[in-house]
This record gives sequence, structure tokens and C-alpha cells, in this order.
Amino acid sequence: MAANASVPRRQWRGFGPAVPALVLLALFFVIPVVSLLLRSILEPEPGLQNYAELFATSTYARVLYNTFLVAFVVTAVSLLLGYPVAWLLAIMPQRYANLVLAIILVSMWTNLLARTYAWMVLLQRTGVINTTLMKLGLISEPLALVKNLTGVTIGMTYIMLPFIILPLYASIRAIDPTTLQAAALCGAGRWQAFRRVLLPLSAPGAAAGGLMVFVMSLGYFVTPALLGSASQMMLAEMIAQLVQSLLNWGLGSAAAFILLTVTLALYAVQIRFFGGMR
Amino acid sequence: MTPAFLSIRGLRQTYGSFVAVDDVSLEIPEGEFLTFLGPSGSGKSTTLYALAGFNEPTSGDILLKGASILATPSHRRNIGMVFQRYTLFPHLNVRENVAFPLRVRGQAEPEIAARVSQMLALVQLEAFADRMPGNLSGGQQQRVALARALAYDPPVLLMDEPLSALDKKLREEIQIEIRRIHRETGVTILYVTHDQEEALRLSDRIAVFNRGRIEQVGSGRDLYHNPATRFVAGFIGDSNFLDTAEVAVSGDRGRVVFPDGTAMADLPVHRSAPGGGATAAQVMVRPQSLRLAATGLPVRVLDVTFLGDTSTVQFRTDWGQEIWMRAGAEEIAGLSPGASAQLGWAPGESHLFL
Repeated sequence: MAANASVPRRQWRGFGPAVPALVLLALFFVIPVVSLLLRSILEPEPGLQNYAELFATSTYARVLYNTFLVAFVVTAVSLLLGYPVAWLLAIMPQRYANLVLAIILVSMWTNLLARTYAWMVLLQRTGVINTTLMKLGLISEPLALVKNLTGVTIGMTYIMLPFIILPLYASIRAIDPTTLQAAALCGAGRWQAFRRVLLPLSAPGAAAGGLMVFVMSLGYFVTPALLGSASQMMLAEMIAQLVQSLLNWGLGSAAAFILLTVTLALYAVQIRFFGGMR
Repeated sequence: MTPAFLSIRGLRQTYGSFVAVDDVSLEIPEGEFLTFLGPSGSGKSTTLYALAGFNEPTSGDILLKGASILATPSHRRNIGMVFQRYTLFPHLNVRENVAFPLRVRGQAEPEIAARVSQMLALVQLEAFADRMPGNLSGGQQQRVALARALAYDPPVLLMDEPLSALDKKLREEIQIEIRRIHRETGVTILYVTHDQEEALRLSDRIAVFNRGRIEQVGSGRDLYHNPATRFVAGFIGDSNFLDTAEVAVSGDRGRVVFPDGTAMADLPVHRSAPGGGATAAQVMVRPQSLRLAATGLPVRVLDVTFLGDTSTVQFRTDWGQEIWMRAGAEEIAGLSPGASAQLGWAPGESHLFL
């Protein structure tokens, strides 16, 4: 009996120093989230009409669709672009890999607004990309690369790439190179070795990075606000507008809560199949 | 001359100024079990990797059934390999690991299933088909690796110190298994090890590597009884090397005078000595060839060790070299540390290296 009682006590030992952080989380995270949920179902009157309105009104449904579409495309393109980079990083000599990693990190740490405005300069009608393409005679009039979802997707992919590359790099590096030599001797060419060995073994890294990028993209505000347009809004912008301009807290809370629910659901899926973040 | 099944011709591998493999040539008949034996860094693994296609030889050629394989990439060489480290695919179970090379080759499902169960029967792991590699012991993992490497019926199987991570008892068990599998499949095996006992136990022939070169190729018996070089004599079996003061050679026999004045005649002479370190002539005699004699080399007993079936005795010669003898307990019954004795041996059982 005494032994039984001592087990939980030992598990809780060291709990004390964690109290301030837990109180902070409870005060500034748990309580606001709960009040968010309550607002979404209580304002302006109790019921699920806020959620019904979000899904039924074509403008709002359109925003939800845009948001998921952009998040999905950004994640897919980041994975496609990130895999070769992560692979290269894993096989190149360490000092070159460190250099490339430093470049990736510096790009990640550079101010978000600066990077996003830079894309605006590159992508606008009279921007570097359009003028170059026109000079080369590849297009006769400027492409609409900005103030639409194309611009948002390009800008966000650029911002999200490091979040894919870093976990992928870690999981590819954990693969024993002799495993790939063994695959080669078993008759697997590059594509077969990638599909049957490298891809499944690096899947946890791809899933962790992919989930992070997808979730971050769903709630991203700055890039869609600068590179997107009001007619093709994304969810974070819509929530800002609902709360700030329209003062519709109920609807804004419902939209935020949908975002949170989707995020948690995706995280649960990842834990189920890949054992969570590592 | 018809080319051998597998020929390695003048293989050379350099890394900058370091010569890893230096002019290695071997002719290997089909079905042979050939072991590359040598210390680490002697070029044996590098030679094996050239066969696997993991490194490109600086010069030389490798021919399989008369055709060079150097231009063929690893995945088209159709060569089997078992590695030193466990290289099973961790995300696939035993069955899928063995099926991997067959799936890559696009074989039909019923064929794959039949071949996989045949292979698992060969390595006696049918009961483990659904296990993941992480849940297998090291010995079991290497047996699965063996099944995977043989599944596509390769003409040559390479084995790079596959048992070095296992403990001694398990190693011996799997050595027996490897011999049986060699007998049953008739596959040509090139086996790399630094363990002379393993080489002797397994091989039809052994190629002894030292400093990137092959010192001698022959059966274990050959290497043991007629070592071509000092290095082979020292590497295969136990040995004593005795310094000499004077050497007189006539034909293939020599007469030596040891530093203490003891003379001995009729020793078989070996001239070529590319390996080894010492340059002065030395006499090599095996510990079990030594006998206590009425007149012979005067020595003093340092230590006697009882080892059950045999005992070993450590001696020191008058000029201070240590020498040891392996003998039955009754033969050395009278010896104790500090005693003096005389050692003799049949001259034909020793070797004079010039």
C-alpha cells in the first residue's frame, strides 16, 4: 500500500517549478480558448447559427475553401521542393551542409515583412519577373502574379520551405547510408530506392514538417494580407475583419474555432500514424 | 585460356597518395568459397566494394563470366551482399525484406511468395516472417540479410565481416549455417574477415591481404603448412619467430646458428618476404611443433598455464626472446617457472624466412 502510494508521488516530484508556466498557460491560453468557444456558440444568442452561417454563406465558404486550397498547395509544393534540398544536405560534406543550412536559417530569421515586400517587388506587374519574361519575349503582357492566390502561394511557399527542409533533413540523416547501398545491390535504381526505402523511412520527418507547414499556412495573416487581395481572402484575414471592422465576435470566434479544431484533428492523425513530433 | 568464372585483374585503388589496393589479381572458379583475410586497412573490404560497385577502381578490371562489370552500376550487377552492419529495411517485416529485391525486379506476386518462403526455409526463419527487423536478434537479422541477398539467385555473394557484431557462440552457429547454405545453393561466395579461425572454418581458399596486396592464396592447410611469407606465417595459426645470428643457404634448405650459438640444419627456406617488418632472417616454429629435448635450444621457463586439454609454457631464450609451446599436461609435468630446459623440433616443421 505504501509502495503504491509512493509511485504517483515520485511521478509528481519536480512539479513545483513548472507551476508559473502552467498558470501562465491556463490564464492566457486555456481560458481565452474556452471563452472563444463560448462566444462562438453564445453570441449573439445561444446555438450553432454562427457555424451554420460560416458554412452556408457562399462568401465565407469561399474563404474556407481558399484557405485550405492555399495551405494544401503550399504544403505540397514545399515538400516537392524540400525533398531534394534535404537529401542534398544529408549527403554533402558537413561543412558545405552547414553553409547551406546557415543560408536557410538566415532566410528564416530575416524579417517577415521585409521578405514579403521583396516578393511584392519581384511579382508585381512591373516587377523583375514580369519585365524579364517580357524582355525575353516569353510573354506579351504581364502575368498576374500578385494580389491573388498565386502570389500568396508563392510567398508562403518561400516562407514555409525551411520548416519542411529542417525536419526532413533530420530524418534523412538518421537513415543509415548502408541501408541504401543494400537497396542498390538488391537491384533498386534511384527511383525505386527513393520510393521503397528513402520515402517511407523519412515519412515521419515529412509528416512533421508537412503538418507544421499546413497548420501555419491555415492561420497565416501577413503574407495573404500583403500578396493577396480582398476578393480572395483567407481565413485569418476574414477573422481580423469580422472582429475588427464588423465587431462580429461570435462569427469570428466560430471561424477561429474551426481553425483550431482542424489543427488538432490533423495533429491527432499525425500522432496516430507517425508517433507525434520527434 | 578460358577465363575463370570471376576474375579480378590488376585491381588498384588509390585515395590521393594512399594506396588502398595494390595490384590485386584473383581467378575464382564458380561455386568457390573464397575468403579475403587480413588486418583492418589491408584492402580486403575495398576490393569487395569494387565488386559491389561502391567504389570505382583506379585501374584494373573485374570480369564475371568473361565480361567486365565495372561499367555496370551496383543495382544492375545482380550481386548479393551481406553487410557488416545490419542493413535490413527497418520499415519492412522479414517477409517484405526478402521480397524486396523481387518486387524491385517486378516479379509476379505468386512467384515472389513462393521464392520468399523458399528463402526463409533456407535460413530456417519461417516462423519469423511477420516480425519487424527491430524485434530480431543480431544473428537472425544477418540470416534474413542472407535470405534477401540470395533471393534473386545472384551469381556471386559478397559477405563483408557479417558476423563481427555477434558473440562467439552465435558466430560459430551461423558459420555452420553459412557453410550449409553454400553447399545447398552452390553460390560463389567472397567473404571478408579479419578472423583467421573464421576463414579456416569456412573457406575453400583464403587470400591473405596485407597492405593492399595479396600475400598468398591457398587452402587453409596450404597457408598453415607452407606459408609463403613471414606475414602469412604470423597471421595464420600461432607462431614463434626466432632471431638468427648466422644463416647458410643451399638450395631450398638452410642452416642457421641462433644468437646463443645453437646450430640447426635442414630448415625449409622462404626467400620472398614482401610483408613483415623485420629484415633479418628469422625462424618460424609453431608452438605445437616444439618438444622438450635432451639436446636443443637452451631456454628458461617463465610461466606454465593450464588450459584443460592442453597447457602452454612460456620460455625465454638465452638472448632474451620469448617463445611459447603448447603441449599435453603430462609432457610438461616437470616444468615450473625458473627451471631450465632444452627445446627441439623437427626441422621440416619450421620455416626459415630470409
